[in-house]
Amino acid sequence: MSLYLLTILLLLLIAPLLLGTIKALKMWLLFKRPLSPLQGYRDAAKLLRKETVLSEEASVVTRIGPFLVLAPLLIVLFFLPPAARGAWYVSFVDAFTLTGLMALSTFFLMLLGLDGASSFGGIGASREAFIAALAEPAMVLTIFAVSMMAGDLGVGQAGANLARSFPTNHMASFLFAGISFFLLLLAENGRIPVDNPETHLELTMVHEAMILELGGVPLALVETAAAVKFVIFASLFASLFLPFGADLAWPLALALFVGKLFLVALVVALVEVHTAKLRLFKVPNLLGIAIVFAFLSLITFYVLGA
Amino acid sequence: MVDLLIGIFLATLITALFTTRLYRLLMWYSLNSLSLGLLALLLGRSQHDGAMVASGVITLLLKAGAIPWILKRLSQRFALERRIVPNIRIQYAIMLVPAILVFTFYLAEPISHMVSGNANDVAISISSLFLALLLMMEHRNIAPKIVGFLAMENALFLLGTTATGGMPMLVELGIFFDLLMAIVVINLLLRREEVRR
Repeated sequence: MSLYLLTILLLLLIAPLLLGTIKALKMWLLFKRPLSPLQGYRDAAKLLRKETVLSEEASVVTRIGPFLVLAPLLIVLFFLPPAARGAWYVSFVDAFTLTGLMALSTFFLMLLGLDGASSFGGIGASREAFIAALAEPAMVLTIFAVSMMAGDLGVGQAGANLARSFPTNHMASFLFAGISFFLLLLAENGRIPVDNPETHLELTMVHEAMILELGGVPLALVETAAAVKFVIFASLFASLFLPFGADLAWPLALALFVGKLFLVALVVALVEVHTAKLRLFKVPNLLGIAIVFAFLSLITFYVLGA
Repeated sequence: MVDLLIGIFLATLITALFTTRLYRLLMWYSLNSLSLGLLALLLGRSQHDGAMVASGVITLLLKAGAIPWILKRLSQRFALERRIVPNIRIQYAIMLVPAILVFTFYLAEPISHMVSGNANDVAISISSLFLALLLMMEHRNIAPKIVGFLAMENALFLLGTTATGGMPMLVELGIFFDLLMAIVVINLLLRREEVRR
């Protein structure tokens, strides 16, 4: 029990650090003087001290929205596969529940964008709806395929099964699912081929456009939600697709798990440095490739058993 | 390990289908051949088949290294169009590719009872044959058509290595020389194009 809670607390604590690390790595790779990876904490501390100013048009949605953006993601944190052997985990939560909870968070983020009554919020919300609608089927398919391979529909149980015995004769379908999941990780978190997290250029922004109206504590909450979403995806990737090392003593296993999260962050930073942002109408192509790979993973597993 | 390499083989081929840049396409072809060569090396070592090891080494040197490089040089010299947009729109390709895969996976079902080796590999190599054909069909420019032809040859090589436990060395060498001949012929073709222009 204590290990379970400790893992969740650790994931929450390092969430801003991961995004900060990506930013710092990107700046370092582009020969800029890197920001401190701890910048996320500093921003949050500053935002928490600021007063909250709401738009005149804002309704009750803007007041409760930030909490509802963060809350489903916090619930998802409790359903993740275990990081170390012997830890507690919730075994029965399947792909649909996880995807649905994340979609709920995205839904409130979109409402938040619309509620401020700025035109950018509307643009951002419509784009986010466009991307989310394409990403979710692929997400369900991918997690479903992996949990089929692991022999249990519950994601937590699937992660535990994978850590215990890796299905080496299903490597091909495993690889396809991994490719699909990585593309989804980029798309759902608004990383570069889909959305540029750094820019405030109105033509390209998606996530930033929705939260343009926010400030103070609500902004801190939404930023935390973005960080938590990344940490959820990274830890799902780490426990479903890099499932080794859970047998070690728990401090070591936990450290290894955190190391894997930073590995994911490193790969994301490399991808971001090396690719250009796609035009919005090219994004369906990328997500279509993700769907193809997810489907391929499922049929390779079912038909061929490879 | 074999499954992983076959997965990489199919994954690179599918990614190549959606590529719209020529050099990126050559890179995917090179990775495709790389996984094929490693697969041949692996299978050859586990079956103690010297000929297969040799053909794996030749694959690595020739198809993963030399041929993409030559094609890149050729495309630079003849100023080929580097932006290759598929004729089949990507929305349709997204539906077409899984359809082909499902079709070929079930198509390979009766064949798999006949072969001695791993039946999955036969199914995947037949499906990659069809995908390479799609790669040839969906482009109008010459360079991706060449790559599609080479990818088809890769798929045949995979079929040969996995289904029959390795073709005779002589046949494989013949195929390699055929490939080189094809490159030479393509070179001549491009030269003629240039003269005519």
